[in-house]
Amino acid sequence: MTVVRIESLSKVYGAVRAVDRISVEIGDGEFISLLGPSGCGKTTTLKMIAGFEEASEGAIRFDGADVVRVPAEKRDIGMVFQNYALFPHMTVDQNLAFGLEMRRVPRAEMRSRIDRVLEMVQLSGFSGRYPSQLSGGQQQRVALARALVIEPRILLLDEPLANLDAKLREEMRVFIRDLQRRVGITTVYVTHDQAEAMTMSDRVVVMFGGRIAQVGAPADIYERPQNLDVARFVGQVNLVSGTVASADDGTLAIDTAFGRAAAPARDGLHPGQAVTLSLRPEAIGLGAPGKAGAPGRVEARYYSGSLIDYRVALDGGETLHVQSFPTVAFAEGDRVSVHAPADRLWLIGAAQ
Amino acid sequence: MRSRVLAAYCILIYLFLAAPIIIVVGASFNAGNFLTFPPQGLSLRWYVVFFHNDVFMRAIRTSLWVAAVTTCVSLVVGTMAALFYVQHAGRWKETVRVAMLAPLLLPEVLTAIALLFFVYAIGIGTRSMFGMVVGHVLMTLPFVFINVAASLESFDPDWDMAARSLGAGRWTRFRRIMLPLIKPGVIGGALFAFIISFDMFTISFLLKGIGTSTLPIQLFDYLRTNFTPEAAAVSTLSVLLTLGVVIVSDKVLGLKLHRF
Ligand SMILES: Nc1ncnc2c1ncn2[C@@H]1O[C@H](COP(=O)(O)OP(=O)(O)OP(=O)(O)O)[C@@H](O)[C@H]1O
Ligand SMILES: [Mg+2]
Repeated sequence: MTVVRIESLSKVYGAVRAVDRISVEIGDGEFISLLGPSGCGKTTTLKMIAGFEEASEGAIRFDGADVVRVPAEKRDIGMVFQNYALFPHMTVDQNLAFGLEMRRVPRAEMRSRIDRVLEMVQLSGFSGRYPSQLSGGQQQRVALARALVIEPRILLLDEPLANLDAKLREEMRVFIRDLQRRVGITTVYVTHDQAEAMTMSDRVVVMFGGRIAQVGAPADIYERPQNLDVARFVGQVNLVSGTVASADDGTLAIDTAFGRAAAPARDGLHPGQAVTLSLRPEAIGLGAPGKAGAPGRVEARYYSGSLIDYRVALDGGETLHVQSFPTVAFAEGDRVSVHAPADRLWLIGAAQ
Repeated sequence: MRSRVLAAYCILIYLFLAAPIIIVVGASFNAGNFLTFPPQGLSLRWYVVFFHNDVFMRAIRTSLWVAAVTTCVSLVVGTMAALFYVQHAGRWKETVRVAMLAPLLLPEVLTAIALLFFVYAIGIGTRSMFGMVVGHVLMTLPFVFINVAASLESFDPDWDMAARSLGAGRWTRFRRIMLPLIKPGVIGGALFAFIISFDMFTISFLLKGIGTSTLPIQLFDYLRTNFTPEAAAVSTLSVLLTLGVVIVSDKVLGLKLHRF
């Protein structure tokens, strides 16, 4: 199958560097997400991989061969668009057949391939329908089928779930992920929804302003964000201040309201310096007042069924977002002691 | 109550506008010798006269031929202009639009005179029908342009990209994806071009080839010296012909909108 290598790829529009020297390797059969806020260059990157936009600099290699000069129609990619882009004047069958006709696949084989893919996306009875006669979710699956039936080297998806309602979106996440595993196709998925990126991907590429901020497995990105932007963009986060107590043997000891945390030594951080650490809301525990931990008071409580969110004001002055299971419940105004395991305190950098 | 009055007004206005056509059609079935309404007796004699009138028959053939050529040329040029306008004109969009619609804004006589000077200046003159066809194309181009551009505006560029990702080259994408999806605009534009060219007077009058004549001009010539119901028969047939073109293109080419 196909390994995609992107080497210091850039796209320049006049004075704007929409994509700025990004490099990443996507393994064979890997599901990778491009995640970032609006305008960070996700779509531009995807379009360069697809061949709809010409790269200004850099290389894109499919199994080692640079494809930058290869036109989109010769790259052998499957693409799924945000608004599906199904051909409205063709039936589901004709939509799926189009790519096969371009490849001069014989009639009989065409039929069997279309039937097989339609079954995969659970739309077997729909081959004679026009796109306008399908629901959004069904259109979505036809778009997926149309991209897969040609058995492309790479599957590219640009925010394919953005137009679906919340419930369907969650179903489709699992559906697409399972399908991709079964087919085993190298996949690049663009989204600005961090939950989507986390649940679906093998690895996530976080982008800001045309650059890659961090590449890693979802758990890496979530638990060990490399900077404040990533920490804030991927899930919710509390920023906790601390002070470097000592720096020995390549390890920093940092004092915080929750006790002493450890972190690998970093250039420019020395004892006595103020630093910022990240702490995820669900890592924080609440206990009865007087127990170990920092004392505080519950300011607000938001119940959402499976979880309860609290806003807790520490006596030290900081305000924290805490998430916990409804098994231990506190009311607004309750005094609590707040504790967090030292290994969930992650050093972001020197305090600003 | 008010809506009834309004409806009555509308019907009256409509009748007033349609009356000339009704009268002409009625007068064409005249059995008498003069163009009168109501007709003096019913007969098809003036149609028979018309079909035996070589001058009119030649004029109608010329008109059909000119309209057909005009429609083809206008369709190709207008569609290409609309494609450029919608997809590539960028910041020149407004300029391109005004330039394309200019023939509608100028008085037809002025355009005709300017063209006349032009065809003589470049040495083509009016010996052939070239000048006239150019004039017709010029006058019908805006209608093709407007219709096709309107369809193109609702053509989603993602459709083209999807077809590309599936491996379709430029020409295949145009033929299999774009053309079917902008068909309503293309057919609408073609109908306008044909009908307008078929009925064109001023341009044809000044630019017609020596010794040739289109139907509207022949009719005008005829009415200067004669006042028989044959003129009404000619007009009626020309209305029917136009109607026929609309109906046939609707049935054959399918003006019906796609299932969106
Ligand atoms: N054709 C273009 N001309 C000029 N600038 C462009 C063009 N296309 C994109 N840009 C700019 O490049 C940057 C990246 O755009 P891109 O569409 O890749 O963002 P994105 O990450 O996909 O955002 P979104 O989540 O909103 O879709 C933006 O600042 C955008 O304004
Ligand atoms: Mg985008």
